[in-house]
Amino acid sequence: MSLPVSESLDRRRFLTLSGAALGAAALSGCAASVDDGSGSGEGKGKTTLTVMCEKDDIDIKAAQKALGVNVRFLQYDAAKLNAMLASKTPPDLVRGFGATEAPYFAARKLMTDLDPYFAKSTVLKPADLDPVNDLWRFEGSKQGTGPRYGMAKDFSQDQMFWYRTDLFEAAKLDLPSETEPLSHEEWLDLGKRLVKRRLGKVKVYGMSVTALGSFSPLMSMTASAGGSLFAEDLASVDFSSPEALKALRWYLDYTKADIGPSVVNPNPDGWDWPTYQAGRMAMAGDGYWFGGAIAGDPKVAKVSRLAPAPQLGSSRISPCFGATGFWMPRDAKNKDAAWKFFEWFFGKEPAQARAASGWGIPTLTSLRSQMPQDQPYQKQAFKVQEQELAHFSVLSFTPYAQRDALDGVISKVVPGAVKSGTSAGKVADKLNEQMNDLLAKGKDVLG
Amino acid sequence: MSTGQLTDSPAGPAVQSPAGAAATQPPRRRRSLTARRAWSFYVFAGPWVLGFLALTAFPLGYALWLSFTNSDGLSDNPRFVGLDNYKEVFTDSETLASLARTGVFTATTVPLTIVAGLFLAVLVNQPIRARGLFRTLLYLPAVVPPVGAALTFRMIFDRDSGAANGLLDVFHVNGITWLADPYARWVLIVLTLWGVGNVMIISLAGLQDIPKELHEAARVDGASPWQSFTRITLPLLSPVIFFQVITGVIASLQTLAPLLISLDPTTKGIGSIPESNSLFMIDVLDQYLLGGRYGYASAMLWVLFLIIVTVTFVVFRLSKGAVFYSVEPEHAKTKTRTIGGA
Repeated sequence: MSLPVSESLDRRRFLTLSGAALGAAALSGCAASVDDGSGSGEGKGKTTLTVMCEKDDIDIKAAQKALGVNVRFLQYDAAKLNAMLASKTPPDLVRGFGATEAPYFAARKLMTDLDPYFAKSTVLKPADLDPVNDLWRFEGSKQGTGPRYGMAKDFSQDQMFWYRTDLFEAAKLDLPSETEPLSHEEWLDLGKRLVKRRLGKVKVYGMSVTALGSFSPLMSMTASAGGSLFAEDLASVDFSSPEALKALRWYLDYTKADIGPSVVNPNPDGWDWPTYQAGRMAMAGDGYWFGGAIAGDPKVAKVSRLAPAPQLGSSRISPCFGATGFWMPRDAKNKDAAWKFFEWFFGKEPAQARAASGWGIPTLTSLRSQMPQDQPYQKQAFKVQEQELAHFSVLSFTPYAQRDALDGVISKVVPGAVKSGTSAGKVADKLNEQMNDLLAKGKDVLG
Repeated sequence: MSTGQLTDSPAGPAVQSPAGAAATQPPRRRRSLTARRAWSFYVFAGPWVLGFLALTAFPLGYALWLSFTNSDGLSDNPRFVGLDNYKEVFTDSETLASLARTGVFTATTVPLTIVAGLFLAVLVNQPIRARGLFRTLLYLPAVVPPVGAALTFRMIFDRDSGAANGLLDVFHVNGITWLADPYARWVLIVLTLWGVGNVMIISLAGLQDIPKELHEAARVDGASPWQSFTRITLPLLSPVIFFQVITGVIASLQTLAPLLISLDPTTKGIGSIPESNSLFMIDVLDQYLLGGRYGYASAMLWVLFLIIVTVTFVVFRLSKGAVFYSVEPEHAKTKTRTIGGA
């Protein structure tokens, strides 16, 4: 049998063949990914657990040794995560912020309900879980109740603040109380007294408020004044209520005063630690976790102290804006291995090491005794922090928008408003309009 | 030995062209040769075509499909919304404002970059001492990775600790918040000009391609340096300038990276970029990542794609009669212009 004499390959045939080859490659890729999932069980050798997080979050070698699985690290990337979730090939575990992301992903039915796993676990017992883990619970219109979708690795009450005693002494100011929280007015006043300027430039920031964005502090201040930024169904915001307006006025006053990093003049260091360490920030609005950084500099440790979260109103609250931890996507392929990782990471050696490091409060109450108390500043911080825990509360976040998007609206609206001296009422109207438009679109997608 | 074999050999008769040789071959052998040539062409072109299909054609088609839905990239069942997203692109004041800002940015930076690049190229084309050193120094910023350049700019223009305000400090002038409105746009323009070495090097290559005799003849005829530049240099350099206009316009309309790196000092994301620098691509990214509006963002990208195609077409049309080709392009309909504009 002889092959027909080869004709010249025309473009159409070539493109058809290319398309076919591409299709074949895509199909084989799909096949590979299916195999990757179901076939990675114990029968075919070691399971490969894919974890999307920051590099410092886990010790991959230790995890592999402890769990007997291969751990594949993926650098956290929101766009990549979205693509993986949309194509139903997500990582087995994903890093996230329980406080703001749990409602978003849970409402989209992208998370695994971990209640059955917790019920069976001998390592992570529900009774031992710190209430902060409730930020990973969501039941449609309320955060803090319902199925548990993740767990925090450690946490802080993010409106507490650290201050430098040397800068207070230089300004001849009394140190803040360790038991009674300052009012926001008192706090702002302190910031104004502590700031140092030269020729229109801030040489020493008096304070820092927006370490974790602007929306969360506004939410917390409004709650402290007895109101709520979100409507009950979490589908809209109202900055025009008396409580929210009070919070917004304070925020605008802080921004106008130019005494700390803000949306108008952001901190070039990107975060508070380098500025605080250099003696260029008197009060850093960062929670307990900041003590982990302080531990690395004995000179700064000597002059650092922690204070309770200032309050805008009479309801003393001290929320957590992060609750950083892990969650398991609904379409994860190695859920049992992922749960083993959960137990090891949240309940065994890594959890103990984190508790002792001072980079956050442990999320198992049984580990609290391991928090560092060797140095004077650590003892003081531990004492203040213990008192503060009684005032922890869960503030429900919307499932219809991401925190960064809401922060983005504030960043767009506030600079112009501050410059032109727009009234708080008008700023509130503008924020309401833009954020509610965003939330409505998010709700429309969810149906 | 057959004629065909002779033509296959590089040492074959020089007078016999391949086409002529093929014509003398028997039909079957000719077909085989044509097929072999076609195969080798497609073997070389194949990887690119596959890459194009997988990485360009498919994403374009997928984005087109997304643009007719309200997809958030995550939810299971995006709803078909017809042309709603496109209508919104042309009616949303924020989107139109970002488009206008992008137009102004392009109209400012492209001419500035080309003029600055050409100016530098003319300078370093002069017979001066240490010419090579100057060329290297001027080109050096273009070699610095964009991330490094952008971060440096961020530090230079920081209000409280940057060198720019340090300089003002010497003259007892108050510091300026460079990275916020209204100054942020100027910082972005300066950052764009920082990479002008690339344009300079292309213009320099063009300048060196111009025969010296033309300038010497002009000088003998009494032409001034300016006349020589406008009547000889510019016309002969016009294809190079035209290339720079086209690539510059396309790149400017898509500007994104320097904004993300340098003008987002909080590193908290695209939401904190000053409004004056919120160009169209920033708005697109904002819709994709912050708003989770994949459908709308895809429609925005398609609109930008069509704008780029239209602008490129218009620039091509406008260039007719303004670009001088010393070798007339194949199938060109424009008349070749004579040097000196006569």
